[in-house]
Amino acid sequence: MSTPEPAAPDVYETSTRGPSFRQRMAPRIAQSKRTWYFLRRNGLAMAGLIILLLIAAVAIYALSTPLSYQYMTEYCATNGATCLVSPSVCTYPQGTVAPGPGCYQTPADFPSVIAPTWASLTQPGPLPLGSLSVDPPIQYFYNTYDGLLRGSDWSMLISLTIVGAGATIGLFLGAVSGYMGGVVDEGLMRLVDIFLSIPQLLFVIVVVTVLITLLPTSGTDFAAHIYLLIGGFLVTWWPFYARLVRGQVLVVREQKYVEAARASGASRGRIILRHIVPNSVYPVFIQMSLDVGTIPIIIGTIVFLGIRIFPSTYLPEWGTIAALSVFDLSAFWNSCQIAACVIPWWQLLFPGLALFLFAISVNFLADGLRDALDPRLRR
Amino acid sequence: MRMWTYVVRRLLLIVPIILGVMTITFVLVSALPLDERFTAYLGVPPKGQSYAPTLAPGQGVCPANATQNCSNPYYHYALNKLGLNQGVWVQWGVWMYNSLTFNWGHVGNASDVVETVYPEAKGLPVTEVLGWFLPYTLELAALSLAIIMAVGIPLGNLSAVYRNRPVDQASRVMSFSGFALPTFLLGSLVLAAVLIGLGSLNGYHSYFCSTGTTFQDFTGSWPPAYCYASPDPTNLGYPSWLTAGYISHPTGFPTIDALIHGQWSLAGDTILRMILPALIIAYGTIALLLRFVRNSMLEVMNLDFVRTARAKGVPERTVVRRHAGRNSLNVTITVLGLTFASFVGGFPVVEYLFNLRGVGQLLAYSVITPIDIGLIFGTTLLFTFLVVGANLIVDVLYAYLDPRVRLG
Repeated sequence: MSTPEPAAPDVYETSTRGPSFRQRMAPRIAQSKRTWYFLRRNGLAMAGLIILLLIAAVAIYALSTPLSYQYMTEYCATNGATCLVSPSVCTYPQGTVAPGPGCYQTPADFPSVIAPTWASLTQPGPLPLGSLSVDPPIQYFYNTYDGLLRGSDWSMLISLTIVGAGATIGLFLGAVSGYMGGVVDEGLMRLVDIFLSIPQLLFVIVVVTVLITLLPTSGTDFAAHIYLLIGGFLVTWWPFYARLVRGQVLVVREQKYVEAARASGASRGRIILRHIVPNSVYPVFIQMSLDVGTIPIIIGTIVFLGIRIFPSTYLPEWGTIAALSVFDLSAFWNSCQIAACVIPWWQLLFPGLALFLFAISVNFLADGLRDALDPRLRR
Repeated sequence: MRMWTYVVRRLLLIVPIILGVMTITFVLVSALPLDERFTAYLGVPPKGQSYAPTLAPGQGVCPANATQNCSNPYYHYALNKLGLNQGVWVQWGVWMYNSLTFNWGHVGNASDVVETVYPEAKGLPVTEVLGWFLPYTLELAALSLAIIMAVGIPLGNLSAVYRNRPVDQASRVMSFSGFALPTFLLGSLVLAAVLIGLGSLNGYHSYFCSTGTTFQDFTGSWPPAYCYASPDPTNLGYPSWLTAGYISHPTGFPTIDALIHGQWSLAGDTILRMILPALIIAYGTIALLLRFVRNSMLEVMNLDFVRTARAKGVPERTVVRRHAGRNSLNVTITVLGLTFASFVGGFPVVEYLFNLRGVGQLLAYSVITPIDIGLIFGTTLLFTFLVVGANLIVDVLYAYLDPRVRLG
């Protein structure tokens, strides 16, 4: 006995209201399920996804807890300026200038480099990731753990804004360029050629440098600096997306459904917005996820080269913290008698690790997505 | 289309790009304060003069008994010289003329470049100073490119052949970590590792300099003065045939010059000091090449002629190297152009970290406030020309290898 086959859902059911939302989304949902299936089988991509989710959880935690900006704590001011302390072997009596027996000493220019510790009697709070030495030397230590925690939301916010805005501009310019063709296409693509022929990192550095000089040097207008940073990145960022989308649109434009839309009298704007853009958006997502990881690195490079993006060098942002952690290390080594110095491994390791994990996890995820979405790569 | 027609057409396409890049620099420069632009593009005013719009009584040409501020003739001269008292098109025209005739301004005398690293460059034309430092950067670029090609192409082939196997995964993780590790961090880690290694192994003596004891012995383009058998107090640690400290003769390329002068050990030392920075630059950009080689290999490996070759009984090794490898080479060459564009950005950081006397180091020091406008925009134009030139070579090579490009 055979059960009668269930009737196939009539996706193209004609009614005055048109297909329901679920019916319209059915192909998309099916594709998402397929993508998820292939993604789940890709170990690296899943590892990337898990790391990213962890970082997102940290960012949400940082946003939701009323942490004060306590990433710099007054410590050395009361305890004397030169203290590279390994608390497990070193006693550092409160209120004295000279370190106790077993303490390491940094050169006078590099105060406040403290190895990781959970808590100790002589310190005001736990330093699970140690502290940074910063340039110019300050009388406080930079609590890496608090800095990274506070920085998680800043980093996400800045990179997501830049990538989102850049992708939106590039998406529409690319779609218009690809769909219209002719003079518009030629003009826009020559413009893109020009922007792309300047090496990207160099371009960002130059634009940000010029923009920074426009601000008053004594100003502490935090928002203005952030806006300028985002603007500077956007100038150099949209051409990649424009070219990417144009290539995709040239393919999509020739599809039957676009022809059908045109035949049924849809306007140009409607075809671009409703038919072409949604169907050429996947490569943009992949590129976006790659870029989100790149932006903190570029910000770090800019800070490392000594460009004052932020009114305070000590802004808790991951790229900035990583740059701070290596900023004057060569000077440290030069002024340090090597046998007597402890190499501040925590300072090199933790901020860099945060930046590295973030960037590599989005790389893995993007690569997995590319494999899952492009059937040619799955063979 | 004949080959030379293609080359000419490709050359013509460069013209709008060069003009466009110069226009972008014009827009950026226009945003900067006037007096800084005057100093950068007309040189420092003569002693006692300034580029201020008005002069107080007793200042410059203004007589001491003047009742009010006088207008400064130097200011108007400078305005006129750069066309700033006329419409924006004239300003643009003057800028384009100056850029195209390599009149890229002068090195200022306040920035970190002349304050701390290159005092000799003070007030000289930007193009001349860039000319001193370009050969070193080109040598570094060539070495990095060689490393990228020597590692990236075989590794890409390998990961395509052993797809999704441990070799493939390992090479992908390695190359992605190159993407994700910022150059400044990687460079610092390598320096720390070298320092610790050298320090613990042979009492801080670097292999570059048997008498050296400090950090500077394994950074920098050349060994410091005390590393030479008979230190010459007048030379600042540069080989004796480098005049004025920086200008090297006769070719300008440090290694070639050392060879010409018969200083074999110095040539070797120069290359040895270049290897670590080149490795760091290569590591950061190898992912791009690796990914493209892998993907193009995967596509070619599925084509009919590869199956035919296998069916004929050609050994797998030969199939990979001769049949598939040759055909995926086209994509590889295209990507090399892209790679060049992205690794040029690594030079400022690496040359700054390792204290190498290249164009990147000039840029790194000139962006610190007070900035050096002439050097910043000179370096931008120079690097852009390098990238455009590299892309041109790549395209021509591509057309030569694949007749479909110029015929179709």
